[in-house]
Amino acid sequence: MSKRAAHGGPLGGRHERPDARAKVAGSTRYVADLALPGMLHAALAVSPVPSARVARLELAAARALDGVEAVLTAGDIPGKNQVGVVFLDQPLLVEDRVRMVGDRLALVAARTPEAAWQAARLVQPLLEALPGVHDPVAALKPGAPSVHEGGNLVRTFRVVRGDVARESARAHVVVEAEYHIGGQEHAYLEPQGCLAIPEGRERITIITSCQCPFYVQQAVARVLGIPLAAVRVEQAPTGGGFGGKEDYASEPAACAAVLAFATGKPVRLVLPRELDMQASTKRHAVVVRHRWGADRDGRLRFAEVDTVMDAGAYIGLSTVVAERANVSSIGPYHVPVVRVATHVAYTNNLFGGAFRGFGAPQVTWAAEATMDKLARQLGMDPLELRRRNVLDDRRRRTSTGQLLPRPVLARECLDRAATLAGWDEFHARPRAGSAAAREGMGIGLVLYGCNLHHGGQRLDRSSAVVILQADGSVVVRVGLTEMGQGNLAAAQTIAAQALGVDPAVVQVWQPDTTTVGDSGPTVASRGAHMSGLAILDAVRRLRTRLDPVAAELLGCRAGEVELAGGFAFVRGEPERTVPVARVAAEMAARRIEGIATGWHRTKARRFDPETGTGAPYEFYAMACHIARVKVDADLGLVRVEEVSAAQDVGRVIHRDALEGQIQGGIVQGMGWAISEELKLDRGRLANPSFTDYTIPTAADAPKVKITVMESEGATGPFGAKGVGEPSLIPTPAAVRNAVCDALGVEIDRLPLTPPTVVAALGERHPFAWLLSERRVDDHERLATFDRDG
Amino acid sequence: MAERVTVSLTLNGERRTFEVPPGRRLLDLLRDDAGLIGTKEGCGAGECGACTVLLDGSPVTSCLVLAASADGHDVVTVEGLASAGRLHPFQEALVTRGGVQCGFCTPGIAVTGVAILAHREADPSEQARLLSGNLCRCTGYTKVIEALQTVTGMENE
Amino acid sequence: MPVREVLRPGSVAEALEALALHPDALPIAGGTDLMVQLRNGRKNATTLVDLDRLGLAGLQESDEGITIGAGTRMDAIAADPRIRRLYPALAEAAAQIGAWPIQCRATLGGNLANASPAADTAPALIVEGARLVVASTAGTRQVPVEEFFLAPGRSALTPGELIISVRLPSPELGPGLRAVERFVKVGPRREQIISIVSLAGRALVGTDGTLFEFRLALGSVAPTPVRARRTEHLLTGRRPDAELRREAVRVLQDEIAPIDDVRAPAGYRRIACAVLLDRFLEEAARG
Repeated sequence: MSKRAAHGGPLGGRHERPDARAKVAGSTRYVADLALPGMLHAALAVSPVPSARVARLELAAARALDGVEAVLTAGDIPGKNQVGVVFLDQPLLVEDRVRMVGDRLALVAARTPEAAWQAARLVQPLLEALPGVHDPVAALKPGAPSVHEGGNLVRTFRVVRGDVARESARAHVVVEAEYHIGGQEHAYLEPQGCLAIPEGRERITIITSCQCPFYVQQAVARVLGIPLAAVRVEQAPTGGGFGGKEDYASEPAACAAVLAFATGKPVRLVLPRELDMQASTKRHAVVVRHRWGADRDGRLRFAEVDTVMDAGAYIGLSTVVAERANVSSIGPYHVPVVRVATHVAYTNNLFGGAFRGFGAPQVTWAAEATMDKLARQLGMDPLELRRRNVLDDRRRRTSTGQLLPRPVLARECLDRAATLAGWDEFHARPRAGSAAAREGMGIGLVLYGCNLHHGGQRLDRSSAVVILQADGSVVVRVGLTEMGQGNLAAAQTIAAQALGVDPAVVQVWQPDTTTVGDSGPTVASRGAHMSGLAILDAVRRLRTRLDPVAAELLGCRAGEVELAGGFAFVRGEPERTVPVARVAAEMAARRIEGIATGWHRTKARRFDPETGTGAPYEFYAMACHIARVKVDADLGLVRVEEVSAAQDVGRVIHRDALEGQIQGGIVQGMGWAISEELKLDRGRLANPSFTDYTIPTAADAPKVKITVMESEGATGPFGAKGVGEPSLIPTPAAVRNAVCDALGVEIDRLPLTPPTVVAALGERHPFAWLLSERRVDDHERLATFDRDG
Repeated sequence: MAERVTVSLTLNGERRTFEVPPGRRLLDLLRDDAGLIGTKEGCGAGECGACTVLLDGSPVTSCLVLAASADGHDVVTVEGLASAGRLHPFQEALVTRGGVQCGFCTPGIAVTGVAILAHREADPSEQARLLSGNLCRCTGYTKVIEALQTVTGMENE
Repeated sequence: MPVREVLRPGSVAEALEALALHPDALPIAGGTDLMVQLRNGRKNATTLVDLDRLGLAGLQESDEGITIGAGTRMDAIAADPRIRRLYPALAEAAAQIGAWPIQCRATLGGNLANASPAADTAPALIVEGARLVVASTAGTRQVPVEEFFLAPGRSALTPGELIISVRLPSPELGPGLRAVERFVKVGPRREQIISIVSLAGRALVGTDGTLFEFRLALGSVAPTPVRARRTEHLLTGRRPDAELRREAVRVLQDEIAPIDDVRAPAGYRRIACAVLLDRFLEEAARG
C-alpha cells in the first residue's frame, strides 16, 4: 500500500478541491444556513463569575418573555448531566457549583434568536462567590482553593531516563530558564453551532459544525439517556476547527438536543462570537522550567523540563494534551539523560483543550529557545548546534527510547530550510542597522508524533464505505471530517487513485454516524492517514468483486487486472482496456455487490506513562521552519517577513491542499507568537472579540517558501504522513528566535507583543530612562496584561 | 402590530422590496428575507469581513448596515458576482489556485476581491492591505493573493 | 431595547427637526461604531435618525481652505488628491481607520461624534487647526476640534445638535519654509487596529531645521485626544537637536495620562509616545 503507484493518477496533483466551487459561489450551507419550519432558536444563560455556589436561579422573567417556549436547568436533563469527553468532571448544566466564567446555568428555546438571547439575559442567578484560583503554579501550592474535590493536581506525566545529577556535573554549559507561554483562541471564522431535530423522544438527528461526530453522538446519547444508535450525527460543512471543535462541539449539541426533546421541535443553536470566545476551549497556557546542559562541543548531555499546564475548570482533553507535551518536551534531539515532568492543574480559568499542535507548540517553543540560548553561550551557530544534536539514521532513539524508522529527516529538514532561507548569506552580510528595522533569523524544529497517543489507542481506528454506482461514479463515506484542511480532497484523491478513476467521478459525502463506524476525532494530523487507509481497505475488498468482472470483460485472469486513467486493463498490455464505468454497469446488471466497507486500526504498541518509556506514537513527521523578521525595536513591533518551511510528508496527496496547510499553519502560528493574547481578568476574558483578539490579516502574511520531502517507509496511504500540525508548530519558535537574534535579548514570554518586546529590552531601550525618571508605580508597569488576575 | 419599514433596493441586479422590522440589519435582510445565505455572520461587529457585500460598488460589512439605510441603493452579494451562469474570474481563480479551505470567509473575500479588481489595484501588497478587513484563519492568505494576481495578470493582457 | 423606528430625513432641516422632536433618538450615519454599541448594549435607542440623505458628503474648496461634509466617507477622504496634498495627516488617518470595508461606510462626522479618545481623525484635525460646524434647530456654531472632546464618549454636542462639516484652513507656508505633517498609529498588527497610541504632528521647518510652527496632538493617551501645548511651546522657534528632543519627550509625559487597559499598559504608551515624537522631530529637523 505504501509503494508508489505504478501509473500517474491524481495523487500529488493540484486538481480542484471537490468542495471549493460551491463554497466560492456562496451555496454551501453551514449550520446557520439551515432552517426548518417550526424551528426554535436556543440560547445559553451562563455564569459571569469564575467561582461560586448557586443558591437559586430565577427563571420567571425569562419564561414570561414573548416567544420563549422553554427555559431548562440541570434538573430537566433526561439522561446524565455529564459532557466531559475523558473524565466525568463536567456537567452540561451547573447544578450547585460554578467553576468558570461561561459555565452554563440554563438553556432557553424561543421562536427568534433575539427573544432567546434576551431571555437568557433575564435569567437571574443568585450566586455566592467562592474563592477561586487563576494561576496554575499557585493552584498546585498547599492552601490554594480547590476547584474540584481531590485537589488541583489532575495528573503528572513523566519521562525519566538516566541520572541527571551525574551528567549535570559533566556539562560544560548549563541553561536554566522559565518560560511563560500564553494560550490561544482558535478563532475559526464560523462560530460553534448545531441543529437538533427530534423524532418524538425516541430518536434525534444532530447536524453540527464539528471535528468528531462520534464524540457528539456519545454526549447526546448520554444527556438524553437513549442508546447510541438512536442518535444520528451528521457533520455539517464546518467553517474551521483547529481543535476547537474536537470535544467542545458536543456541548452546544447536547444543549440543543435537550431543548429539542423538551419542546418536540427542531432547535438551532449558534454561539455569538463573544460567548464562543469566552466559553469554548483554548490552547493551554503553560509555565515551562528548563535546565539543560551540553558539553563544550555542544552536544546535549541532559535535559530537565518541568511544565505546569493550566487545564482550567474542567479536564476536557488536558491529560491527553499533557501526554503529547510530555514526550515532545525534548524535541528531536539526542539527549542521553532526560527528566521531564508535566503537571496538569485545575484553575478557575477558561478551560484548555485541543488546538493544532496539542501541547507540542508550547514545549517546542521552550525547547527551541533553550537551544538558542545554549548556542549563544557556546558561541556556536544555532543551526550548527542543532545539526550536532538532531536524531538521524544512526542515532534514532527518541527521548522515550522509541526507535524511529529510517529515514530520519531532521538534518535534511534543517539543511533544506536553511538553504531556502539563505541562512548562511543572511549571517554573512552586515545587518540593517536602524532601530526601526532590526533584522533577525531564527529556527524552529519539531519531531511530531502522528495519530493518537498511546493513551488514546483505543480510539485510533477508522471506517470507510465505498459504493460503486451503476454509471461508474463512486460514493465515498469516511468518519474523518473536513474542516478546511482538505480531508475531502484527500479522501477523493486516494479513492480515485486506488480505483484508477478521475477524481471528478468520486463524491465524498459528509461523515454521518449512521453510515460509518466510529472513526475517532479528526485531530493529531490523522485525517488523511486514517481516511486513506480505510478507503484503501474498502477498495481492496471491492476489488475482490470488481476484478473478476473486469477480467471477464478483458479476457484475462482477475489477478492481472489493473486500474488507471478510468480504465481497467491487463497488466503488461495497456492496450487491452475496458472503461471502469462499463465494469460498474456490468456489476450492477448482474446484481453484484458494489458496496464495500473498509477498516483500519493502528498497531498496538507499548508505552509506560510512569517513566515515559516506549512508543507513544505510531510514526513521526519532521518539520523545520526558519523565520526572518524585522523588528522596530523602539516600538517593539515585530514583522515576520518570510518563513521558509521544510516538511517531511512521506507522500504528497494533494499539492495545493498541502501548501495551503503549511501557509495557514505558519500564519496561525505567527499570530500566536506575536499578536494573539488571551487577556484574562480573574478567569473572565477581557478581549472576547476580533477587535481586541488580533489574529493576522492579509497584510501581516509573510512570504512563505516551501520545500517538501517525500520518502519511502511510512505506513500511511501511499506513504503519506500527517501535515496539519507540523505545519504550525515550528513557526512560533522560529519567530521568537529570530526576534531575539535581531535584538540581542532573550524573551521568555509568549506572545511577543509590543509591550513584551519593549519590556525585554529593559534599560537598553533608548527611552527606558523616562519610566525610571517618572518613578513608575505599580499601575504603570511595562509587563503585559496580568494573566494571574 | 409590529413596526415595519419598507426597503426597496436593487439586489444582485434585480429590483426588490421588503418589509422588515426597523432595526433589521442588512445582513439579516439578505439571509432571512431574501434567502441569500452566501453572506455569513462571523462576529456581528464588523471585524471579520465574512458579511461583506458591495453597497453601490463599495465593500461594506453588512452586519453594521441598517436594512433601512440600504433603501434606494444597490447591493451585490456573493451570489451576484457570477454572470450568465459563470463565476466571476476571481471566484474561478480562488478555486483553481487552491485559495479555498473551510470556505466560511470565502464569500466575503470574493466580494472584496472583486472590488479590489474593479479598483484596478494591481500591486500585491496593496491588494493585501485592502483585503485586511477580511479575516481568514485557514489559508494564511497566500493563495488568495495569488488568485488575485492571476486575475490581475489576465486583465493586464 | 429594539429599534422601533428609523427616520430618514431628506434635508438637514428635517433631520434637526426630527432630533428636536425625539430627544432620545440617536443619529446614525455609517453606523460602524453605533451598530456595535447597540449590539453590545453600550447604547440604547428606540428611534434612529438616518443621516444618509442629508447631502452632507463631499468636499468644497474656497480661498480659506477646504470644507469636508460630515457625511464624507473615510475612503473618499483617504483618496482625495487635495486632502492628500494639503492635509496628509488626515488622509493617512482616514486610510487607517478599521479596514477598507469600514472606511467605505465610516464618516468623518461619525468618527468625531463618537468621541472616542482613540478616534484617529482627531489628532490629525487638531494639528491642522480644524473647526467643526455644528447645527441645531436653534442655529449654527463653530467649535475648534480640540475643544470638541470632553470625556470618553462625550462630545461638546448638545442634545439635538449635528455635526454638519469640518473646516480646514488653508495650510500656511512662508518663504523658505517646508511643511512636515504626519499621522502615525501603533497597534499589535499592521492593519485593522484600534490605536494603542496615535500621534499627529505638523511643523513648518526652516532650512536650518528650526521649527517655526509646531502643533502636536495624540490619541489614546488620555480621556480625550490631547493637544500637547507645552511640548509645542518648548519646541517652537527652536531646532530639535538630540538634547532638545530628549527634553521634549520628558515634557510630553506630563501632558498625557495613559492608563492600563485591555490593549496595552500605560508604561508602554508612554514609551511609544516618546518614540513617535522623537521620530517626528528628527525627521522634521532633517534638511
